Amino acid sequence: MSAATRPTRRTALALGLAVPAAVTMAACGGSDSGGSGEAVGEPQQGGTLTYLEPQTWSTLYPPAGGFYPNGGVVNNLTDRLLYQNPETLELEPWIATDLPEVNEDATEYTFTLREDATYSDGTPIDAENVVKNFDLYGKGDADRALTVSEAINNYDRGEVVDATTVRFHFTAPAPGFSQAVSTINSGLLSNATLDRSGEEFGPGNATDIIASGPFVIAEEEIGTRLKLAVREDYAWAPASLDHEGRAHLDEIDIVVAAEDSVRVGTVTSQQAHIARQIEAPDEPQFEADGLALHAASTNGVNNSLSFRFRDPALEDVRTRRALIAAIDRQAIVDTLFTDSYPLATGILATTALGYTDTSENYAHDLEQAASLLDEAGWEAGADGTRSKDGQALTLTFNEALPQPRSREVVTLIQEQLAELGIAVELLPGDQAAQDAARAEPGTVQVYHSMVGRADYDVLKSQLSSDNRNALLNGHPDGSVGDEELDELLAQVASTPGEEGRAEASAAAQAHLAENAYVLPLFEEPQVFGYVETVQGFATESVGRPTFYDTWLTS
Amino acid sequence: MRYVLRRLGGALLVLVLAFTAAYVLLTALPGDAVLARYGNPDLGLTADQLAEIRAAYGADRPALLQYLDTVRSFLQGDLGYSVQSGAAVSALLGEALPSTLTLAALGLLVAVVLAVAIAFTATHGSLHGTRATAWLRGALRGLPPLMVSLPVFWIGIMLIQVFSFRMGLVPVLNASPAQALILPVATLAIPIAAPLAQVLIRSIDEVSAQPFVAVARARGASSWWLLWRTVTRNALLPALTMAGLLFGELVGGAVVTEAVFGRMGVGQLTAQAVAARDTPVLMAVVVLSTVVFVLVNLIVDLLYPVLDARLRRTDATGPTRTGPTSSAPTVPAPAEPAERSEVTAR
Repeated sequence: MSAATRPTRRTALALGLAVPAAVTMAACGGSDSGGSGEAVGEPQQGGTLTYLEPQTWSTLYPPAGGFYPNGGVVNNLTDRLLYQNPETLELEPWIATDLPEVNEDATEYTFTLREDATYSDGTPIDAENVVKNFDLYGKGDADRALTVSEAINNYDRGEVVDATTVRFHFTAPAPGFSQAVSTINSGLLSNATLDRSGEEFGPGNATDIIASGPFVIAEEEIGTRLKLAVREDYAWAPASLDHEGRAHLDEIDIVVAAEDSVRVGTVTSQQAHIARQIEAPDEPQFEADGLALHAASTNGVNNSLSFRFRDPALEDVRTRRALIAAIDRQAIVDTLFTDSYPLATGILATTALGYTDTSENYAHDLEQAASLLDEAGWEAGADGTRSKDGQALTLTFNEALPQPRSREVVTLIQEQLAELGIAVELLPGDQAAQDAARAEPGTVQVYHSMVGRADYDVLKSQLSSDNRNALLNGHPDGSVGDEELDELLAQVASTPGEEGRAEASAAAQAHLAENAYVLPLFEEPQVFGYVETVQGFATESVGRPTFYDTWLTS
Repeated sequence: MRYVLRRLGGALLVLVLAFTAAYVLLTALPGDAVLARYGNPDLGLTADQLAEIRAAYGADRPALLQYLDTVRSFLQGDLGYSVQSGAAVSALLGEALPSTLTLAALGLLVAVVLAVAIAFTATHGSLHGTRATAWLRGALRGLPPLMVSLPVFWIGIMLIQVFSFRMGLVPVLNASPAQALILPVATLAIPIAAPLAQVLIRSIDEVSAQPFVAVARARGASSWWLLWRTVTRNALLPALTMAGLLFGELVGGAVVTEAVFGRMGVGQLTAQAVAARDTPVLMAVVVLSTVVFVLVNLIVDLLYPVLDARLRRTDATGPTRTGPTSSAPTVPAPAEPAERSEVTAR
């Protein structure tokens, strides 16, 4: 059992769950997965929503919002300068009254702020405060153990133009900044909160974290529970949301329930309203009356395998192509997952910005795989395992602990590749051990991972040697294997203008497909299961819950 | 007195060894707490940024230096700060301890009651008679081995499924403090009751085979009277030894129980700290559980002479049981003059 990783022990239930169909909405338009609860009748105000989280949050420092339990809280606690519509992925005004004025090379952004928004301690969101926010998020403060926000690149400084106007300066073009300010990582905090240290954003301090969002933190029980209460005077929600003014709910009870079966059972027995992370094998339980599923797209880099091409075993493109042809992705999705997990057609999700279809490069063909391996010089040995120059073709996969069923995925691939004489090993160990191994050349040959972020930049985040370095293109000694790839990815994050970025992204995706660097498996969703008394539940652009429009039928 | 001092010295040694062993093992694993928190790809930090944060935490210093530093602050009573959450370890423990103590104390109590009930019923003389009672006797005697082999998490999940989700008797969420304890206590009690019951049954059987019991029975003592007045007293010693050892089981059970039921407590804290490689929290937990373990065993040792007159020696060497980890409970020869005279007197 663990906090930082998802629980991997699956619980075989001897008992089927009888679901009492106690609360069924008469007029509800069906409970098909994928749709958020469609509002029925007039939204009602009031009530406490119980939300089950598999893991406890670790910090409320917004740049650490990438960790789901943190992001789920911060998203409901903070406002951002801009709002990214989760359906269209377009940016809309929020605390900023309009989209920013951007200079030609995207190195200067000017935002005008609305005047009425305040923090829950009464202090205003003014230009000075916004600059203070981004000076911290853009540069971090290692002395206080506060990190830089991954979403913000090339940040130089912020400038207070007047009380409601701020300008941000960048050392190099930063076309992703507009989207960056809309992410959870850029949640605005009050001046006093920004002065806290990394420790003071952690458990035990939740009620002192002051932001301007529709909910405030009312109570905290370390490690188990967080109670959010509505902010009565909230009046600056993004215009495209269903309503204005305060949120419908009075309170949200966020309860940690690590055990999968407990989370599922608590919701299906109507003891809680909604639970995050419903595993694929548990999804059928939500087909019963009075229950529904919401599979939120994460709009970023798909759940995929990155072939670390600088490793001697994978340096030949034919070997990598052979792996792609040998792995039966459809079988993986069919065996282990449900319709909530669509087969990937490219490295990016179909709904992600910059998506192109590269599925023709990922055809399953065992004969092709065998001949490619032969061409690459891998010869079958006595024990069936192929080898070249005395070196056996053994590949180590990491276990992507935060991703669904990573161990099972790798085990299935192990079986599939064994038929062709490729040995697969799974790197054992917890998250810290996996993190230590993933950056070490020669330890992991195939890296299983995904990233959710609804911006073109996500491709660079995942693959650039400056960021997550999934391909281990950059080695710790500073050398870079494929300079062209880094260059293409840098283009994505630095070309000004929507069109230019889309083109740059397409070029990088083509390069990845041509060189057989990656094998995208499926589009990874965040799956929520809930009772149908919950209406208007929605998720933001990477699948964190947004409870502003949510209400409970009586 | 010298005996107590010697035992305290031994306890201190156990503490130091446990502390050092835990520290060495945690250091030997790849990755550390800073990496567990900041190396997570979800934060997208570069290697340079990571190095900066490592330096800020002092995690880049030699392991020996960090170890000595930890020892020094522990000696000063400073348990440090959790790397994962930044909260003071003493605050985390302070929050977690009362809930775990309640759970453990109630769990142990229920376990003892359960074990005694099973053992007394299973060994009761009246069950020797008919076929049906013999079957019941066999079933009861089969219960402890069954209970001991059930994994704690499975018991917990089954209890929740049956009593909460299916029958709706106890809510999992928003339960009153008393309601919230029912299922966790039951979960914890079952695996602890099992070995206790096993030992009790065995020693009751052995004591019952002693001649003085036959004598007492011949003089008209009832089965219950025999159990209470003679057999139990003699059978209690090995059971007490077990109880001391069961503390370990209690800690392990609490980790699983608290995780399954989502209760905050030392167990939950430990599980979360293990996942996050949170060395300061883990070291505090190691020290805490070692201290309690050593104390429980010391108390058990000191109780021996109280329960058994033959162990009340006047010389300074004290009872023969040597260490807190001696695992084989010694079953002392039960015949005791004092008790026999009691029987005769009746």
